Amino acid sequence: MQEQEDPPQAVVELVRVEKSYHLGSVLVPVIKGINLIVRPACFSVLLGPSGSGKTTLLNLMGCVDKPDQGEVVVANCQVGALDDDALSDFRGETIGFIFQNFNLLPVLSAYENIEYPLLLAGAPASKRGARVQRLLEAVGLGDKAKNLPGQLSGGQRQRVAIARALARKPKLVIADEPTANLDSATGAAILALMRSMVDRYAISFLFSSHDPEVIKAADDTIFLSDGVIQSVRRKGAVGLA
Amino acid sequence: MNTLQLALRNLLRNRRRSLATLLAMAVGSASILLFGGFSANVDYELLTRHVRKGGHLQVQQRDFYLYGSGDPIAYGLADHGRILKAIRDDEVLSSLVRVATPTLQFGGIAGNSAAGVSRTIIGAGFVAEDINRMREWNEFGLRTTAAPSALQGSAADAAVVGTGVARVLLMCEALKIANCPAVQKKSLASDAPSGDLGTKANGKAKAKANGKANGKANGKAHGKSNGKSNGKRNGNGNGNGSALPADIAQLSLQEAQAAPAAGPRRIDVLVASARGAPNVASLEVIRAEDQGVKELDDVSIMLQLARTEQIEQARARLVTVLAGFSATQPLAVLDFRQLNPFYVQTMQMFDTIFGFVFVLIGGIVLFTVSNTMNTSVVERTVEIGTLRAMGLRRGGILRLFVAEGALLGCAGALLGAALGLLLAAVVNRVAMPWLPPGNVELVPFTVRVWGEGRLLLGTLVGIVCIATVSAWWPAYRAARLDIVDALRHV
Repeated sequence: MQEQEDPPQAVVELVRVEKSYHLGSVLVPVIKGINLIVRPACFSVLLGPSGSGKTTLLNLMGCVDKPDQGEVVVANCQVGALDDDALSDFRGETIGFIFQNFNLLPVLSAYENIEYPLLLAGAPASKRGARVQRLLEAVGLGDKAKNLPGQLSGGQRQRVAIARALARKPKLVIADEPTANLDSATGAAILALMRSMVDRYAISFLFSSHDPEVIKAADDTIFLSDGVIQSVRRKGAVGLA
Repeated sequence: MNTLQLALRNLLRNRRRSLATLLAMAVGSASILLFGGFSANVDYELLTRHVRKGGHLQVQQRDFYLYGSGDPIAYGLADHGRILKAIRDDEVLSSLVRVATPTLQFGGIAGNSAAGVSRTIIGAGFVAEDINRMREWNEFGLRTTAAPSALQGSAADAAVVGTGVARVLLMCEALKIANCPAVQKKSLASDAPSGDLGTKANGKAKAKANGKANGKANGKAHGKSNGKSNGKRNGNGNGNGSALPADIAQLSLQEAQAAPAAGPRRIDVLVASARGAPNVASLEVIRAEDQGVKELDDVSIMLQLARTEQIEQARARLVTVLAGFSATQPLAVLDFRQLNPFYVQTMQMFDTIFGFVFVLIGGIVLFTVSNTMNTSVVERTVEIGTLRAMGLRRGGILRLFVAEGALLGCAGALLGAALGLLLAAVVNRVAMPWLPPGNVELVPFTVRVWGEGRLLLGTLVGIVCIATVSAWWPAYRAARLDIVDALRHV
């Protein structure tokens, strides 16, 4: 357990969160009573060995999974109280996702992939067009708008995924090992891009990674092991479990 | 990018699979349409045959349908001339009715006295000119036409008999009938007594061909004498007494006095009723024709309408027009369906078969689309998880997959309709001859899909609905997927 001195304003707050999974008839605890605060407009990294519970923790904070015990508060909203539709709306409005395998819709062009979350939000066409174009320019793909994902490189796809995650101006972007499927040069470029997005749009980025370069770029680093947070290192201070 | 556009792109993603599903649906729809088109054509053929023969509606004395064949005199239509005039003079009916004409049908014995043979017959008398107009009726544009009656313009005592009757009456040579083995003729003519011959021939021919003597002589005599005789019959208390009705007695006398000498084409007809066989006519047979089966004998006025859909309108008007005649005799208006139960039964059978075919093909379409959509859900599990993570509700996922099923259904049904129309055109072009039940002539095999709006629309809507319903369960499963499990899916 960690106690923060003078806790900062939180974009995500976990309170005694527990999560277990069934492996056959065996119940395996994955997250064991975690308390955590993710600061707004911060570049936060979740570190830990395989099986330590990083992805499960990201899923809980991304509101795609529910804890067995404890509370998850995202952007001041206690998400456990929301029904499925309300939770879907909340996710679309508040959280962006970047996946290791990009997970772009293969039948949509780069432009349409970025536009899709705005369509779900019911944004008018004029606003959609301007927003998508700005994001395409921001991720350096202004000339690839019409390309389908299959016509883009891995790095370009991940740029589209980043732009898509930012389309609805979320408060939090969750990325599960976003550079794992990229070569080191492309990974570094993507990292730099995400870092710049944090600074530019004041959005919290929270992602899991094994990449030492990511740790260097992070504002906050959260060390996870066996479902327990071992330490949280914030720029200039270290919190211990 | 709305749900339908996205659904369409998803369908185009795996073109081979979508095409296979599409073809299965198209072949299914085309099969339904072809059978439906065939069934529709049989309907039109049968309906046209009955309407050409007996009109859309018949005015009869009430209960003739039930008891008339046993006692046609008691249940015969009196005063038919006035009834006909009332129908023809009515403003509403005159715009609906094409032909209004009397008909007389009877049973009796026909004999060829020259050859010493006879047999039982069922006969019909009519006004040949009217019947020929009725035979021209072709509301549905059929390729088959009815040959006009040979009686038009012939002598007053002319008659047409069925080939079976002509054969039994040993008139093969005179009427140039095919398939008359000489040995049989010899044996029948020389060995068998005439009474036995009639019974034997009747037993063979009656059920099959319903030997029928259509006589202009009857028609004319009927037409001429009915006015008189009906008037007399009315005067005599509706002709129900035990005495021979005056008109029949008079006709019998006329025929007896004017009977020409027997010849190779001459037959004598003895008309029978429940009270004996009082009416004799000597007729010159001018032609032998193959005859279909007639289910009902009647004495009535036949009304042929311009269009079949006007039946109820005409019937309602007839009830009003005929109200004035009910004081002298109770009347009934029957339509061709009531008079021809065979037509109704045949079409019910075709409807049942059509329903069975539709259910079978619908089942195949259901499982084909369902299988395609299930595979699609499995393949796109990660995508479903991604969409849900991005904020798409369960309902959105459900709509997306159902839309894909519906689009597949639309495309399959449209393709099937095009295929059905094309195949129907080819079949109609080939015009393979076939013999429909109850027909005596070969007709071109016709499949009527074009112009059958209800069939086309029903099949299209049915296939689209089946495809949509087929997609619902896979779509529901997709919508219920756990997001974490879906994102983790490999």
